Amino acid sequence: MEDRARELIEYVARALVDDADAVEVNVVEADRATMYELSVDPRDLGKVIGRDGRTARALRTLLSALGSPNGKRAILDILD
Amino acid sequence: MADDRDQAPREGALLVDDDESRERKAKRSRDDDEALADEAANVLEDLLDIMDIDADVHIREDGDRIVLDVRGPEAGRAIGKKGQTLDALQFLLNRIVNRDADEQRHIIVDSGDYRERHDKSLANLAEREAKRAIQSGRTITLQPMSARDRRVIHLSLAKFEGVTTESSGEGMRRRIQIIPTGAPRRSRR
Repeated sequence: MEDRARELIEYVARALVDDADAVEVNVVEADRATMYELSVDPRDLGKVIGRDGRTARALRTLLSALGSPNGKRAILDILD
Repeated sequence: MADDRDQAPREGALLVDDDESRERKAKRSRDDDEALADEAANVLEDLLDIMDIDADVHIREDGDRIVLDVRGPEAGRAIGKKGQTLDALQFLLNRIVNRDADEQRHIIVDSGDYRERHDKSLANLAEREAKRAIQSGRTITLQPMSARDRRVIHLSLAKFEGVTTESSGEGMRRRIQIIPTGAPRRSRR
């Protein structure tokens, strides 16, 4: 099944960072949520988090707007 | 020693050059704007596509501003609750297209007349609460709002007799206070 949340995180992260090849998303399934662990080059961390976390927050807002066919929440975790 | 007679024509020549370069620059910035608008529209279309939102993106001419208009049967999903999705799309889009730019060019994401209607309803709310502040003689504190929405309210009450406005609180919790003038300040929470 296509994973729109993952696609969205990868698209936005790759568009923001300098090192697009270093962008990775690891998906962890839990009972009531799906966790997306995003990792980027350490030098690009600020670009995906943003000032006061605003970039990460905007991405989370889009994730919550996706709607979940399986009733699971999408949680974004940015690994540092 | 500089020769005045030699300098005068040179200055003139420089001025002509300047005019030409200004013209070229203006032309170039128009072309740049068009390229930026196209790039931004493409990115926004990609985002809507990934989010499975059935809507198209139109570039709207609006003076100096670059406005992307989201239209289609599912445009409402792109707006989201209280415009949250639209704001998030706009924020990320600006981060993406201005990534390497020396000069930031702000792009507005709208859907039909959503932003205009939203601003009008903010102005209505502001006026209603300002009247309430005057009648009660008490300071009224509004809900937390984005910097943009707070600015709309500050501006809409700038010429409203009998009240002044201030923002208080930090970050996401920053709220507007509508303070009646000519009355002792009493905070009402």
